[in-house]
Amino acid sequence: MLFVIITALAVAGTFLALAFHRFWTGLDKDRTNLVYVALLGQFWAWLARRSKENARKASMKAWWAYLKALPLWRLPVLEKWLFVFLYGSFLYLAASGFFFAVFVPRGLHGFPLIGHVMAGGLFAVCLTLVVVFKGRNFTSIPEPLELSLKLFDPKRLGLTAVKVKHAAFWAFILAGFLLTLSSLLPMMPLLRTPGQKLMFELHRASALASVLAAMVFAGMGSLEKARGSQPR
Amino acid sequence: MSRAGRSSLAVLGLALGATFWLSGGAAPSAPAAQDARQPAWDGARTVPVHLIPLHDENDEPIIPTETNPLPFSARFTCGPCHDYDTVRGGFHFSAAGGRAEGRPAQPWFWAEPRTGTVLPVSYRPWPGTYRPADLGLTAWDFTLLFGRHFPGGGPAEPSEEEILSDPEARWNVSGRAEVNCLACHNRSGRQDHSEWAKQVLRENFRWAAAAAGGVGEVGGMAARLKGTWDIYDGPNLDDREWAVAPYVKYRTADFDSKHSYFFDLNYQPADDRCLACHAASPVDEVQWKADADVHSAAGLRCADCHRNGLDHDMVRGYEGEAADKGDRAVDSFTCRGCHLGEDAKGRVKVEPGRLGAPRPKHTGIPLVHFKRLSCTVCHSGPMPKDGFTRVRTSRANRLGVYGAAAWATDLPAVFEPVYMKDANHKITPRRLVWPAFWARKDGRELVPLRPEEVESAAAGILGADERIGQVLIALTQVMAEDETPVLVSGRFIFGPHIDGGVEATGRNGAEDKGPSFWGIRKGDGIVPLVPDFDPAAEDKDPDIEPRFQEFLQALDTTLGKPGRPVIQVRKTLYRFVDGSLDISEAPEELGEATRPGWIADDALIPLASDLDVRAATAKAGTERTLTEEEVALVLGALTEASEGAEFAYVSGGRMFRLAKGGKLLSEKHEAAEPVTWALAHNVRPAQQSLGWNGCADCHSAGSDFFFSTLEAQGPLLTRSVTKRSSTSFMGLGGFFQGFFGLTFTVRPLLKVVLTVCAFVVGSLLLLAGILALGRLAGLLEKR
Repeated sequence: MLFVIITALAVAGTFLALAFHRFWTGLDKDRTNLVYVALLGQFWAWLARRSKENARKASMKAWWAYLKALPLWRLPVLEKWLFVFLYGSFLYLAASGFFFAVFVPRGLHGFPLIGHVMAGGLFAVCLTLVVVFKGRNFTSIPEPLELSLKLFDPKRLGLTAVKVKHAAFWAFILAGFLLTLSSLLPMMPLLRTPGQKLMFELHRASALASVLAAMVFAGMGSLEKARGSQPR
Repeated sequence: MSRAGRSSLAVLGLALGATFWLSGGAAPSAPAAQDARQPAWDGARTVPVHLIPLHDENDEPIIPTETNPLPFSARFTCGPCHDYDTVRGGFHFSAAGGRAEGRPAQPWFWAEPRTGTVLPVSYRPWPGTYRPADLGLTAWDFTLLFGRHFPGGGPAEPSEEEILSDPEARWNVSGRAEVNCLACHNRSGRQDHSEWAKQVLRENFRWAAAAAGGVGEVGGMAARLKGTWDIYDGPNLDDREWAVAPYVKYRTADFDSKHSYFFDLNYQPADDRCLACHAASPVDEVQWKADADVHSAAGLRCADCHRNGLDHDMVRGYEGEAADKGDRAVDSFTCRGCHLGEDAKGRVKVEPGRLGAPRPKHTGIPLVHFKRLSCTVCHSGPMPKDGFTRVRTSRANRLGVYGAAAWATDLPAVFEPVYMKDANHKITPRRLVWPAFWARKDGRELVPLRPEEVESAAAGILGADERIGQVLIALTQVMAEDETPVLVSGRFIFGPHIDGGVEATGRNGAEDKGPSFWGIRKGDGIVPLVPDFDPAAEDKDPDIEPRFQEFLQALDTTLGKPGRPVIQVRKTLYRFVDGSLDISEAPEELGEATRPGWIADDALIPLASDLDVRAATAKAGTERTLTEEEVALVLGALTEASEGAEFAYVSGGRMFRLAKGGKLLSEKHEAAEPVTWALAHNVRPAQQSLGWNGCADCHSAGSDFFFSTLEAQGPLLTRSVTKRSSTSFMGLGGFFQGFFGLTFTVRPLLKVVLTVCAFVVGSLLLLAGILALGRLAGLLEKR
């Protein structure tokens, strides 16, 4: 139950944080001096308006058009299929894992479990290839840190949306690594019951972390797209 | 004092008052009030020497050297120190109260091979069982049927009201079988379970404990006495050979000069005392190859875990028992409690490691196994195998009673381990028996018939073996030492069996449907009992007619014979009349034939009817006791006797009934479903547990755990039996488990792939992390 609550809060929090970031970056500069209550009110109004607009636009046709318009399809063939398998397996893993964890008391079982295990293998392979071949595209060379009050100011620290996206990428990779490890080790004749319990919890926590990282990554990506900027 | 201060004092006072009230007003250090019937333990770890005076059922002291002393009574001998009424409320004695009392355990089986009856019976309302009263079984009947494996008490010790309500019972002759403390607590090697069983069968209930405990020698047989006999009548002076009144001759060497008897007792019963009634062994196992439970091998006794206080409310050791009993301490006697310190919900609640219980490593076993399976699935009973393991249990198959007669029975057929979900939705190994019984159909419901009701309606149909056996036993009287009378039919030769009935042996090279004949086995050869010859010939064997006379004389002693014995040879009829052989011409209607038989109403009928020969031949070499033909005839006879009521027979997981044309039909019916109960022992050592050799012990495409099939066993010889797979018992999908098992063939590959992936991703993450850290710290030059 605790995991369900944490999952709900974390996903909702990340969603709201991304939404607020988009709201904040779209604000006129002179309106950023609003008091918090007024700002919050404007944010909820903005969120409600956008939700309504998106809901009105949403349809199977619109979704299909959105999917077809993804830059993914224009990538070179190997790269394209690598990402198709990565996204596909991750979506299935997240959907099956969280659906059963949240809504089915018995947990993941039956054919969805077999699918989960198979998708897990595919995801691990794709993730490895992405790290090897694409990881270099998501590195930001950090400046050496100075021991000053700058450390507490994100702006002065140079924390940009791109850097957050890169951090989300590596967080996703780390979570993926932990997911792989926590699926692999319980299958080995190594861990006793407490170790198995630890791996189970680690798997769930890593899964949640990977979903949050993916949300941030996608959120930042769509923000860039909205602004017409290109990723480095 | 301020207002706030006054308020605080009031709250504190209220809290103290509430605490005092909740604690019952007693000071914390005051000892809890003791139940007078359960005196407090003084802490001593020794068992007192039980040199005690014996008392009879009238609470009179017993002087062993007196003439005709009465048997001792546990109520008045043990009762003064151990409150008898508290003891008799224990689990072993309280069934007749009719409370469910926890997880269903093994019921009693009313097994009667002749009528093909295997009825699960229990006073406790457990699923799949019938209450004795519903079957017309009184406490008296129940005691006679099952008292052989009772420790006394319960239905064997009825109240005065119960005795008065059953005038046909013979309690006044037999006495009551009180709780037999010695059955469990006697340490003496003289304790003899077989003696108990025999005394119960002889209706010597009140003497049984003394006889079985070796306290004295018990003779006589209450079952042969008139119903008016009373224990105060003393010996039966009219009959000193047959209807001898029960008596006890005490073993005087074990009494002291004050007439106190030395009982060699255990506080905790020894294992063999428990196993006298609770053993289970595979049918096909050789004794010296059988292993003991791993706990016994480690030096534990049954009673180390299955404990009780004076109330004899045994700890049974199943998960959830603590909640059933409202005593959390009981959790520490389950597998999980003792080895892991967990309660039924997996919460760490009790101190593990009692009696040195090791903590299992369970290395590499995924957690889901502990959620979905009970410990006993992997650790108890025989390993799963196709067809399952057939076992015999003491109470169901009457084991452990030794003597000239064979007590152990094949019926009921008990199978294990059948994995099924329990009340907690955990898969648990169980023992299983398919019921078999005759019943009256009351709408959809089946009301079982008692075997004697079936017998009386189906006279002459059931019991083919016995009738053939009677003829063979009669003929045995006039056979030479090296001769045995036999009936030859189909592929079998039937000889007389020592306990009545017939003993079938195979006949090599014979056809299934060859003609049957009566013969004499001499060495390896068989000659016809009645050879074909010309009775008018002058050179006929001179010994043949004297031999015929012997046969006829012997056959005339056959029990239940349908007429006078005759031998027909061609057109000549041999009869035994007024002490001599009568030879006459056979009546025309008998035709020309050579055969022995019975003559009744001027008709010659064979020594054994065609139905009997067919039935015996069909069942020979099997353990079936009924054929479809017999069942159809009995159903017809029952219908006829009851003027139209509908009847059915249940066997092999199916219900059989007569269709309109007299054809036997079989159908599914809930009453034909098997009765099951959990098994916990024998616990195997870790190396023999499921999963020791890896996941494929269970998770493979054809594993015995998931894919073995059980064919229902019943007394009826038929192809119409239920077959069920392990997965159907478990309530799981067979297709899924097969597919899931198949995935384990590629699992090693998956492990390799995941290992490589984890290594590559982990290495790059480490590298990237170290580089980033180095840059942040300024140790690496910016490029």
